[in-house]
Amino acid sequence: MTNASAGLPHEPVDVVVVGSGAAGSNMAAHLAEGGKRVLILEAGPARGPGHLISSTLYARRVKWTGPPVLDEGKNPVGFVFNSAYGTGGAAMHHYAVWPRMHPEDFDMHSRHGRGLDWPLKYPDLAPYYDKVQQEAGVSGDATREVWRPPGAPYPMPGVPVFPQGTAIARGFTKLGKAVAPLPIAVTSTNYNGRPTCLWDGWCDSGCPIGALANPLTIHLPKATAAGAILVSNAPATRVVTSDDGTRAIGVEVTLDDGSRRTVTAKIVVLAAFAVENPRLLLASATPKHARGLGNSGGLVGRYIMTHAAGLVYGLFDEDTHPYMGAFGGQLVNQDSYPKTTHAKSGAFGSYQWMIAQAVKPNDLLGIATTRPDLFGPALHDFMKRATRGFAGMTSVCEDLPVTDNRVTLTDQHDRYGVPIARITHDTHAESVALWKASLAEGKEVMQAAGAREVWTGPPGSMHIMGGTIMGTASGNSVTNSYGQLHDIPNLVIAGPGLFPTSAGVNPTFTVHALTARSAERMLSNWQQIAG
Amino acid sequence: MARRDFIVGGALLTFTLAGCQKKMTPAQARAAEVPFRTLDAGNVAILDALGETLLPGSSGAGLAHYIDHQLSGDAADSMLMIKYLGVAAPFTEFYAGGLRATDALARAVYGKALTELSSGQATALVAKMSGGQVEGWQGPPAGLFYFVLRSDAVDVVYGTKTGFEQLGVPYMAHIEPPSRWGE
Repeated sequence: MTNASAGLPHEPVDVVVVGSGAAGSNMAAHLAEGGKRVLILEAGPARGPGHLISSTLYARRVKWTGPPVLDEGKNPVGFVFNSAYGTGGAAMHHYAVWPRMHPEDFDMHSRHGRGLDWPLKYPDLAPYYDKVQQEAGVSGDATREVWRPPGAPYPMPGVPVFPQGTAIARGFTKLGKAVAPLPIAVTSTNYNGRPTCLWDGWCDSGCPIGALANPLTIHLPKATAAGAILVSNAPATRVVTSDDGTRAIGVEVTLDDGSRRTVTAKIVVLAAFAVENPRLLLASATPKHARGLGNSGGLVGRYIMTHAAGLVYGLFDEDTHPYMGAFGGQLVNQDSYPKTTHAKSGAFGSYQWMIAQAVKPNDLLGIATTRPDLFGPALHDFMKRATRGFAGMTSVCEDLPVTDNRVTLTDQHDRYGVPIARITHDTHAESVALWKASLAEGKEVMQAAGAREVWTGPPGSMHIMGGTIMGTASGNSVTNSYGQLHDIPNLVIAGPGLFPTSAGVNPTFTVHALTARSAERMLSNWQQIAG
Repeated sequence: MARRDFIVGGALLTFTLAGCQKKMTPAQARAAEVPFRTLDAGNVAILDALGETLLPGSSGAGLAHYIDHQLSGDAADSMLMIKYLGVAAPFTEFYAGGLRATDALARAVYGKALTELSSGQATALVAKMSGGQVEGWQGPPAGLFYFVLRSDAVDVVYGTKTGFEQLGVPYMAHIEPPSRWGE
């Protein structure tokens, strides 16, 4: 890893990738392995495994510390917690819950008249899920996961179940509902030279031992081994386009001393996450693209989505060892995946349960925060009781795409002179109803499991998607199914910003599958795309 | 990102260790009466009183020194929970404004400073703040301020290796926190 002033090449490269997270590192690895000269620009600091300190407090330094972002609306997306700044991006501290999206996620508008259709179907993406799960290593049990769409079995067995998982599973079983090992990109066995996870629950701090499939472990080593160059502290401040506006010709980088350098490339990939990507497109306006790049349809920044987290907790008499396991959980249930399951409650959309997540005493998702009403001696008492008998699970609730949930530019500027972003997000009423329905089901499960106290949390925001959605034409989307801008085909978006709908599962596996598909397309159609 | 320890101010450093910065836990910094860099004496007194109401033992664990240290450094290195909660850095005015508002509430309700309240009065005051709707409150949202300060108190008491041990939670670090957080 190199610092910006010394590391930026003076020669043109084939591809410049903005962002070193899940999408950027995947794209860089596949293109570099395909023989392309790749430069990765990371706005934030260089970070290696040694920076991933096992501490809920130090973990906060791994989150977003870049230019300020105004996180607004009735239901803010939780930008700082859900993103990151530095090598590996948000995937550096993601929990690696990697379920597949379902076939019905891809044509929701056609089937139900809600939301949008994707410009591809599940069978188009399935081979890439298979490829990525082999590459990154996913643990799970495809047979027990009765809801799972067709695909190759997991390369590693399901994760172990600790007493917290056993306790909650009892509730699902009593109600006639199935559970299966949570599909998770964490090693349940030694895998390709990587050690088995110790189930210590430090995923949110970033996994330094290679058990969790973060970019440091998977794609950045592959990218650099194939010759890609990663330059840190190199914020992209503008995408530079040709005079006629038909092509991207490079990326302008602003260095700490205020000087600017343009790196030229045949293809520009923006993989800077769902908020920074539209910010950069909007901030790169030219006379030919007066409303921002890729914005002829006025859709850049629109359809920002986040999953509402349905937090359900129980206190059991048995010792649940709630600190053991992975942060993402031990078990999954997707009985509520069909979009109209909870229609009687005024709800629409899918959700799944992530069951028995490892918890720490403190922090945003820690034990203390589950009862924010308690303080004083009562809080001490709760901490002692909960350490022994706590159990929790989280629903991942689909967020219907809403056109006015969006990223816009403000009239304030960051220290590089780029307008800062405002995110506005109000959850759709049917998505709120879905979240409420999940809480009702979750409480029923906890009670059936024998919890002596059951309670729920506020609607947390998990994941950020949309903002540069894919579709079939500039009238309905910003990019095609490969992430190429309709208006500028050698400017490519990668990441969850492409999602036209949010589905009811965690997005990172789908980000990887889409990126692998896009990289393959670029390599096979290089002349056409790169010119 | 550089790994940064809990490092006390430069003035004390030469004084104590002949040129080496001294690493301390917040509790040790409190015991050593390390000078505050951002919070003034009035704020510290209110913080101590509020901390004891929110989580007994948190003041002695160095809550005020912990917050002062975090507010005095680079915002990018901040470990305060507030950074997750939609408040833009720097956070100094959030804390100062919240402490001022809490003291003003004590004076409005009980006619005396927060530091002079009985334990019962302080508890009733904090209960009012935790509900979020406080008449005449002048500061950052009362409920948010309560949540942030309560989280800070939990962090210094239970967010360390020592705190985990008190609860019987195995710490199981891959990489130990580099400071003397664990004591």
